[in-house]
Amino acid sequence: MDLPAQVWVQVVVNGLALGWLYVLMALGLTFILSMMGILQLAHGEIYMIGAYIVYYLSVSLGLNHYLAMLLSMLIMATFGILLEKFLFRPVQGYLLPPIVVSIGLTLILTSAAAVFFGLFERGLPRLAHGSFLVLGSAVPKDRIIAVGFSIGLLVLVYLFLKRSKYGQAMVASAQNRESALLRGINPNQMSRLAFSIACALAAVGGSLAGAIMKLSPFMGTPPLVKGLVIIVLGGMGSLLGATVGGLILGLLDSVIPVAFSPAVASIAPLIIVVIILLVRPQGLFGHE
Amino acid sequence: MNRRQIIKPTSIVAIIIILFLAPVLIESIYWMSILALACINVLLVSSLRSIKLLDHISLGHVGFTLIGAYGTALLVMKVGLPFWGALIMAGLMSSFVALVLGYPFLKVKGMYFAILTLLTAETFRSIAYYWRGLTGGQLGLLNIPPPSPLTFPGLGTISFDTIHNYYYIILIVVLISLSIIYRLEHSHLSFKWQAIRDADNLAQSVGINVAWYKMVNFAIACFFAGIAGGLFAHYQHNLSADATSRFGVWTTLYLLIYLVVGGEAKFAGPIIGTLVLMFVGEFARPLGEFQPMIIGALAIFVVLLLPGGIIGLPDQFKLLYRKLLKQTTGVQGSV
Repeated sequence: MDLPAQVWVQVVVNGLALGWLYVLMALGLTFILSMMGILQLAHGEIYMIGAYIVYYLSVSLGLNHYLAMLLSMLIMATFGILLEKFLFRPVQGYLLPPIVVSIGLTLILTSAAAVFFGLFERGLPRLAHGSFLVLGSAVPKDRIIAVGFSIGLLVLVYLFLKRSKYGQAMVASAQNRESALLRGINPNQMSRLAFSIACALAAVGGSLAGAIMKLSPFMGTPPLVKGLVIIVLGGMGSLLGATVGGLILGLLDSVIPVAFSPAVASIAPLIIVVIILLVRPQGLFGHE
Repeated sequence: MNRRQIIKPTSIVAIIIILFLAPVLIESIYWMSILALACINVLLVSSLRSIKLLDHISLGHVGFTLIGAYGTALLVMKVGLPFWGALIMAGLMSSFVALVLGYPFLKVKGMYFAILTLLTAETFRSIAYYWRGLTGGQLGLLNIPPPSPLTFPGLGTISFDTIHNYYYIILIVVLISLSIIYRLEHSHLSFKWQAIRDADNLAQSVGINVAWYKMVNFAIACFFAGIAGGLFAHYQHNLSADATSRFGVWTTLYLLIYLVVGGEAKFAGPIIGTLVLMFVGEFARPLGEFQPMIIGALAIFVVLLLPGGIIGLPDQFKLLYRKLLKQTTGVQGSV
């Protein structure tokens, strides 16, 4: 298809922005999955509620957008600690019960959102107006800011895991719970920490997505599915895998509908995942 | 022991008779539709449970239901096959797809399988949503005809254009499918499945082809998902595949809740869970947007406090009763 180069630049930038949002989602999911072995299907709803908190703080109360995002992160992190303590800790170690608890939570949070926030779509104010000129085509500033924000957070998470005592303790208890316990690490405390970080990341993802796209009580489901696929693609517990997987899916979602058709774009992730499973069942950057 | 051997079959026969009499007793088209949908869901949840026999959780059952539904509808409308042929063909189609996808998917365990099946269901849904030439795209398939009338000697010709009559087709197909699933669970195949579930390496070492039996299990369950889809297509008379339709993620979530609330340990669990929760859902409908909240809270309550589900309740009561009995007799003995 002969489209001008400007269109391609915009498509790629959109794909990268979308990809980084998926990365934030996938990071949280992979934290919870590798620390607790729990498939958190309600993570999309955490993302949605994080975005609505930013909406109410910034649009209704008139707070600064970034301050609102910080507050929303803190609120959702606290919420995550509560969820871990009362809902997920009792069912840890089983296969089906945690999934059903997360499904129940999904239903509760979505219907609560429909009741309290309303079913119509809302929009957050844009992060920035105007655009840069890249290769002769306009690239919206808000996408660049969203990407920058996500990269900054990813670097923070990376530094936390690699350089801090708590981060190392978390990695250790994800790798081997019993040995970590012997070294004086409390795995339960670590999984609480992982859960709250995951919820905070989802809240940021949601509020960035809300500033680029729209807010609705059902906005959480598509990124949840993407985030889960990224985990399979990149390998569980791998930061690099989540990043690369997220960018691949983001680019697929934006480039293929333009280049081919939306139908092809919807099959592409399945085909890629099947190929990767046949070649490398542990995922691109997974080990074992 | 003897008494139980009599009670169980008679109660099953009684329930089946009641189900057959339901269209005569229930006048309302609305409640008849709910009952018919409940029967379709029972089949779906039971086949989900048969995947769970291998400790796999499928979040993609709606995807195979979608293949069955669109398959049956398209075979009837575009190819001109009779309903029954189309139904079986569509079931075979979805079990074939499951067999093909099962090979890469079943290499991985637990959570990964769940994620992959979720992806599959969403992929099938968006294919149906965007492939305008075949599935009608966003508009969906409209005016799916009812199954052609059947002539029975002695009863005359029965047409299936009303829900009261179509319910009989659903009921008979679901009962036959359930009895097949039940037979499979008590067959030789099921011993192999149990061996694979409990110790797959050991099973492999005694000569069980683990990959193949896992694929067979998945394909059988998806065959019944396809059949349930085919029944659904002619129940609904039109099909659409947008995110809020029957083939969205939400149906999967509800099916898993039905399975767990009913209790996954016994064959009757999914049946009871589906019927109870669907009717709870119907009675909670006046609450509007609070309705999913009730179902969700019920699911969490059951998982945290009644691990056996509804079907495990009698056993739990029995345990409690014995404990109490022991306590009281113990106290009396000491006095």
